[in-house]
Formats: sequence, structure tokens, C-alpha cells
Amino acid sequence: MPVSEIPRILKRAEQYVRQTKYKEALALYDQAIRLEPRNPECWSQRAGAKIEMERFADAVADCDQALALNPNQADAWSRKALALSQVGQYVPALAAATRASTLNANDAVAWYVKGICLEETGKSDEAEIAFAKSLELEILLDIKEEKNRIRR
Amino acid sequence: MKTNMPLTRPIRRFIAETERMLDTEVTLLRKPEAPPGGTLIDVYSYNLDKNIIIFPANYIGLLKDFVIAKQCTHLLVKGAAAKTGGYRVLSYNADTVYTGMRQVYLDALKDEAKKDKKLPVKKLIDMLFILYKQFHDDINELPWNPVVNARIYYRMEQLRKTQLYILLKDGKQDMDEMMDMMEIIPRRYFVLDKSMFYARDLYLAKTLPADKLMPVVNIPQMKKFDHLEVKEMLTTRWTHTAWYQSKVFGDNMLTIMEKHLTADWSADSSLEYYGNLYKVGVNLTNAMLAYMTMKDWFIWETPQHLLAAEQEAPVYEKAALKKIFGDLIDES
Repeated sequence: MPVSEIPRILKRAEQYVRQTKYKEALALYDQAIRLEPRNPECWSQRAGAKIEMERFADAVADCDQALALNPNQADAWSRKALALSQVGQYVPALAAATRASTLNANDAVAWYVKGICLEETGKSDEAEIAFAKSLELEILLDIKEEKNRIRR
Repeated sequence: MKTNMPLTRPIRRFIAETERMLDTEVTLLRKPEAPPGGTLIDVYSYNLDKNIIIFPANYIGLLKDFVIAKQCTHLLVKGAAAKTGGYRVLSYNADTVYTGMRQVYLDALKDEAKKDKKLPVKKLIDMLFILYKQFHDDINELPWNPVVNARIYYRMEQLRKTQLYILLKDGKQDMDEMMDMMEIIPRRYFVLDKSMFYARDLYLAKTLPADKLMPVVNIPQMKKFDHLEVKEMLTTRWTHTAWYQSKVFGDNMLTIMEKHLTADWSADSSLEYYGNLYKVGVNLTNAMLAYMTMKDWFIWETPQHLLAAEQEAPVYEKAALKKIFGDLIDES
């Protein structure tokens, strides 16, 4: 299968994730990585599926692979933060979430995870700011989703 | 607690407290098709061994936290009622369905007599049970909304901004409900439906407090009543409109809510406290049903009774139509 198929494979995998069919999604991500192992997007998205399957350590490993290929892959930093926070590693998770929100200021998840990590490390004032930013972005996404729902 | 998603510490603590107080388990699920307010599938209403809170897949942060807090509070109210004397919901049977549908039919006839363009008979017949069921769904839910929201406001300060956004959104959606049926259903039921939501929003606007929730501020169809003088409102120009009538009835329902919703919203949690909140909700529900002259439309029964009634609903509808219309109703 040619490398040009990767966007289609990733799109299909994303649909599976939305349908909570994570095993099917994982199989497609594995295929994409086999086709193009130096594509950081494939590793990052596979990490996302592994997070949904609660395979947090594996997800972190995939994020690290993505970041080795592209240190500015914002999604990978965001997913790494999420996976690390889920296993209680709040200090490295905070560093990853901070990097993620710096690279992409519109990542609501990164701000939310940053808020959780700041809360857990005793920085409640900073946590409040991160949560406020996360909520602002989440509301914008919700309004957009609502408009799409009405159009459908 | 079973979950694979990040949660803030207050929410984790709240879920743990819920599980401990009710000696039960809570599972969180994210689903694309979940309604915006989330869904609670609990052990007191269904034959399950754990409680499931489902929320929309696009809720990833504080929106999800608020839905969880809301459903956990509801679970505590149900669980406390179940543990201290019996959890009941508004259900129905063949007799009550007939009572409700017959009343809707009589009101529809009164409205139809004033209209130039009459409703097709089939639409009129179909509307009877639809309207009955709409009120059943609303009255089983609405009285608990101010109870749960007031409690969350005073116990989970960090969720206040999130709560305000969701309440504003809910307010507009609830007011849009039935709009496509406005010219079809009897005016009385449109007005009562809007009045309930108007009263709820006004109660929350005063209790939280949150001026933005006031329907004359938040709801486009009611903005015209903002700053309107009393004398002006009493003129014919306004009094015949459904929205004005909703405001008048809604103001009366607000008085009922204020009379019955007298809990200490910031009190410490206990089974006794949530059991009392359940009684507050029941009393409010009964008072609203009395005001709407719908006391005989529903019965307080076990959740299992309601599940069985939902299965029998087509049979009850058919029997009621037969009683109302006799042989005029086709068996099919």
C-alpha cells in the first residue's frame, strides 16, 4: 500500500476511535506506522487510542517516538501530559502540558490537564487560571459542535 | 469509580463520597450520542449492579466535570431516598393516561372552536398521548433541576462558571422545545410548559445568584418584557400572547418553588440530608401538579412500575382513545 494512503487510513482510524472501536483503530494505526515509521502524526494518534484503552505507559512511549521525530508536535505533548497524569506522574505531566499549551494555545485538553497537575502539585491559583482557559476553549468548541448538530 | 479520563480533584472526591455514602460503584462513560446534560443509569431505577454516568464525547474538561457533579448529586438524592424509605417516581397506568388524554382532548376542542383553520383529526388524535407523555417527562425531571443545581452551586464553587454556561444553554433549548407545535397544541399546554422552565430559570437566577439566567435577559422571546412597565403589560397588546401568559403563570410557579425549595444548600453531606432533598423535590412536584390541575394524571410508584408502564404505553394510549372516541376510532 502506498504512503499516499496514510491520510485515508488515519481518517478511518479516527472514525473508529469516535465509535469507541479502539482495537480496530489500533490495527489501522499499526498499519500506518508500518507504512511510514517516520511520520510523527501516526505515532501520536496511536498514543491517543492507547490512552482510551488505558494503556498509559504504552501511550507515553508512542508520544516519545513522535516527539523524537518532531519535538514541536503539539498533539504528542498533549497526549503525553494526559497519559502521565493518569498514572499520577504530575510533575512530568505538568511539563508536557505546559509545552503542549505553549505550542497550541487552543488545546483545551492541555490546559485542563495542566490545571489538574497544578492542583495536585499545590499551585491552586495557577490551576484556576489554567482551568479558566480550558473552559473558555471548551465552550467555543461546544458552540461550534452545537451549530454542526443543528445543520445536521 | 471506573474511568479512563482525567478528573479534577474535587470531582474525584465527590464521586468517592457518593460511592462511600451509597455503598455503590460509579462508572463514567463518554458517548457521542449522549444528550448534553448527560444520562444517569442507576441501580435504583434499573436492574443493574453499578451506576453509569454517560456524558457527551465532546465534553473533555470542566463541562464533563459539571455533568458528573450533576448526575452524582441526583444519584445521591435517589440513593438516600431508596435507603431511607423508598424511592418513587411519577408513573402512569391505564386510568391516569385516560384522565390526562381526555383533559387534553377537551382543551383542544375549546381551542379548535376559536380557530379558522382546524387541525386534521389524525393530528389531533396523535397529539393527545404525545402531549401527555411530554408533560410526564418534564414533570419527572424539572423539579429536581433547581434542587441539584442549587446544591452544586454551594458545594462546588470551582464549577460555577461552567454551571452558568450550561444553564444558559439549557434555558434557551428548553424554551425552544415545543415551538414547532405552538400552533397545534392547546394554548394552555404550551403556556404551562414554558411557565415551568421560566420559573426554574428565575428561581436559579435568584438563588445562585445569576442575573444572566433571568428569562427576560436570556430568552429572546421574553426580552420584550424586560423593563416593561406593569401598566403597559396589562394592555391587550401583550395579554393575548402566549409568551406573556407564560410569564404570568411562570411568576406564580416561581412563588410555588420558593415556598417549597427551602433547603440549606451548603449543609454538610449525609444520607439524611439527601433524603430530605428528595422530600423537597417530591413536595415541589406535587405542588406544581396541583397548580397545573394534573394531580390525577400521574401516580407515585416504584421505578420498576414506570419501566413496565413504558412497555405498556401503546396499550394504554389505545385504550384511552377507545374510551374517548368510542367506535369512531379505527382498531388499527
